[in-house]
Amino acid sequence: MERNLKSVRNIGISAHIDSGKTTLTERILFYTDRIHKINEVKGKDGAGAIMDSMELEKERGITIASAATHCRWKDHDINIIDTPGHVDFTVEVERSLRVLDGVVLILCSVSGVQSQSITVDQQMKRYEVPCMAFINKCDRSGANPFKVIDQLRNKLGHNAVPMQIPIGLEEDHEGVIDLVKMKAYFFEGDSGEKVIEKDIPEDLMDKALEVREQMLDQVSEFSDELTDAILEEQEISEELLMQAVRQGTLLRKLTPVFMGSAYKNKAVQPAMDAVINYLPAPVDIDNEAIDIDNNEETVILKSDFDCPTVALAFKLDDGQYGQLTYVRVYQGCVTKGTTIINTRSGKKIRPGRLIRMHSSEMEEVNEIPAGHIGAMFGVDCVSGDTFTSPEINYTMLSMHVMEPVISLSLKPVDNKSEISMSKALNRFTKEDPTFKTHVDKETNETIIQGMGELHLEVYVERMKREYNAEVVVGKPRVAYRETITKKADFNYTHKKQTGGAGQFGRIAGFMEPCEDDFEFNNKITGGKIPTQYIPSCEKGFQNCMAKGPKLEFPVTGIKVTIEDGAFHSVDSSEMAFVSAARGAFLEAYNKAKPVIKEPIMKVVIETPNEFQGACMGLINQRRGIIEGSQEEGVMSVIEATVPLSDMFGFSTVLRSGTQGKAQFTMEFSSYKKVPQSIADDIFKKKQEEKTKS
Amino acid sequence: MLRQDLIQKSPVCKIINPDSITNIKFGAVLSRAGVGKTQFLVQIALTRLLNNEKTIHISLNDSMEKINLRYIDSYRNLIDSIGYVDPQKAKRLWENINQLQVSIAYNESSFDPKKISEYLNSFQKNNDELPSVIVIDGLNFDNDLTSLLDELEAIAETFKISIWFSMRTHREESLCSDGYPKQLENVKDLFEKALFLNPKDNKIEATVLKNGEDKNRKYLLDAATMMPE
Repeated sequence: MERNLKSVRNIGISAHIDSGKTTLTERILFYTDRIHKINEVKGKDGAGAIMDSMELEKERGITIASAATHCRWKDHDINIIDTPGHVDFTVEVERSLRVLDGVVLILCSVSGVQSQSITVDQQMKRYEVPCMAFINKCDRSGANPFKVIDQLRNKLGHNAVPMQIPIGLEEDHEGVIDLVKMKAYFFEGDSGEKVIEKDIPEDLMDKALEVREQMLDQVSEFSDELTDAILEEQEISEELLMQAVRQGTLLRKLTPVFMGSAYKNKAVQPAMDAVINYLPAPVDIDNEAIDIDNNEETVILKSDFDCPTVALAFKLDDGQYGQLTYVRVYQGCVTKGTTIINTRSGKKIRPGRLIRMHSSEMEEVNEIPAGHIGAMFGVDCVSGDTFTSPEINYTMLSMHVMEPVISLSLKPVDNKSEISMSKALNRFTKEDPTFKTHVDKETNETIIQGMGELHLEVYVERMKREYNAEVVVGKPRVAYRETITKKADFNYTHKKQTGGAGQFGRIAGFMEPCEDDFEFNNKITGGKIPTQYIPSCEKGFQNCMAKGPKLEFPVTGIKVTIEDGAFHSVDSSEMAFVSAARGAFLEAYNKAKPVIKEPIMKVVIETPNEFQGACMGLINQRRGIIEGSQEEGVMSVIEATVPLSDMFGFSTVLRSGTQGKAQFTMEFSSYKKVPQSIADDIFKKKQEEKTKS
Repeated sequence: MLRQDLIQKSPVCKIINPDSITNIKFGAVLSRAGVGKTQFLVQIALTRLLNNEKTIHISLNDSMEKINLRYIDSYRNLIDSIGYVDPQKAKRLWENINQLQVSIAYNESSFDPKKISEYLNSFQKNNDELPSVIVIDGLNFDNDLTSLLDELEAIAETFKISIWFSMRTHREESLCSDGYPKQLENVKDLFEKALFLNPKDNKIEATVLKNGEDKNRKYLLDAATMMPE
């Protein structure tokens, strides 16, 4: 692996779905001789792109898992993470950004800045990752890279600087003009591998000069030398201009913009040159860790091979040889057979096999030095774990992980599938922090939770394909609750005489609504119920809370006060008072006007302004209460509370209602009383279920 | 009971008949900056909320959070004006009426009545009760708003909703011959009710500019709470 870190780039390729990320990566691999044939994302030959190694990805033409790969371009080692574009897989994007030094933001020259570009941009800001933009699909009908540059400025607030202008657009797209070198570039050969440099066509010279002038104006801010050269009307050298652009990019105050068509093999090579010229090397970035032994002080890591090792596991994969752990090494070296420690678990690890990934193919290496990305075999850990040399105890800052927003129930069809499902769920939860699973104690169903319907759909599909787990996917049951709304008295005597020892116990008091789940208040005086039976009374009441008499949902929010009672010196027992409490509960419960409560979710929709009214309408249709809506630039944020039972299928409805441009998040807010009409429906359904069973 | 008590205490009740808030298309509250137009508009909306009606508050100046805070403050002022109220009762009532109110914050440039129309349509589709009042705060009546007001008038007609506006006047501008500020003068035919707020000593003087036959009557309001003296 490259030891001169100035010649290393760790870059991500991020964008909205279908902007051509995987196609661009495929071209890069071809031009760097990593592959010898270009496969399209959904090629006619059915091969699919190299970077989409998962069968499902090839079929659907979308990237699901980040595939890590590396290549060499002009004596530089480039590690590339191809990140998914779909909003449901943003955790992959987040995890990639955490370990990358720079990003190529791909934008479609027709669609421009789309919702996922906005999400990716926010993530880049969070991790302060410098970026350059590549406006793809300049060969498409309606292509307008300058409109996209304007959107980059207006919608994302980037100081976008065009570094090229296109030679022809749509079907006339032939190449680009480099505004630094002031040369025209054409791409010939079967796969555009021959880069031909020519003079700028006359008809484009004026436009090139005009855009270069603007570019110089924007870039000069980052170099006094360049400003002087412009003011003194001296000749501006390529190096000086490139240095200034690089400086602005590293400071995240400038976004150099390139353009072309990856599909038509136009202008990919200049974009690769730009990665080397403008995106940061590992030494250009300050990475921080927390020193656990030193009062959790922040330490800056040095990209020095001789320092103690610090590495971060950012992705896990289940390969045919066991767990594959992707790591980014920030300091020192992860070396084959050398001990490192998992800071979280304290476990000592000696990696036996280190590899460098080339999509699904592997290349064995002896070490992964600082600044590089590689993978380890046979290491038991979870995503986000830090590995260090034994002499230090550092942890990298934890990654921002979003809470799951949707859940589904799963039921394996047979025993074999149940075992496979369990294995699969165990693996997926380790791989993906936004994928969670639990068994619902009430329904005994396995519930999976994730970031969207597609997210969960993909995992169900993977379960089938990779683990042969056949599962029936159901709509999850909403966890309804029962409660009472008014105070009610009870005075119940439990008396049983069926031969042998009898049972006797009387309890009197009242139940009333309260804030907590259950409260028990003992006001018995004068030993009307002996002290040793009081816990049995409480137990009796509490047992009733598990399954409400109304619809068998758990009961919450009841305070029971016992004030009076009676016992029998022979027939009273703990069991008798448990039964008496049950009787008392049932006696009072129906008098206390029981109601059903449902979980209410706090829903936040982020939508382009033009869909604000439509989105508010969608909330209205779902028994939602809109708290308000706020415009933020070109986006509107709508805050609302909506019953969970009305939120199923919402992601699909929202997408179709907003051309896929709106997103939403959802979290639990509170339990609220179900309206009578809905309660009647629930009651009917329960009755039907009972009849069936 | 508490609802009725609060409605009775409202400055709106004293100055404008609360029932007549909703039987018009357009109403306006005018004043120069910082006098209390928004606060009075919130009181107008509150009286309808207390009557169990839905309202929409659109602001082109305030954030959604700020709008919501204004409602909390105004509700508190109303509660305080009637002496002691059981805090639990007041809280429960607030929880009930708060869910009838929707705050929308727009940028002036992107404010488009079509969005409101789209939203109101969804009520009709669901057979839900429509809001009775829309409050629009922050439109600049120094500009020509003819087409915008036409669209809003159509909304008021179609959905049978009353729309109340704030109108910002300017200290240096003199009143027109009929006593209306310039901003109202240009569109006076569209407005059936108008109220002018003006600081006087430490109080706010509310002058009824348009309210059927009831014209030029003056009331004094507390400057901090907008509650009637």
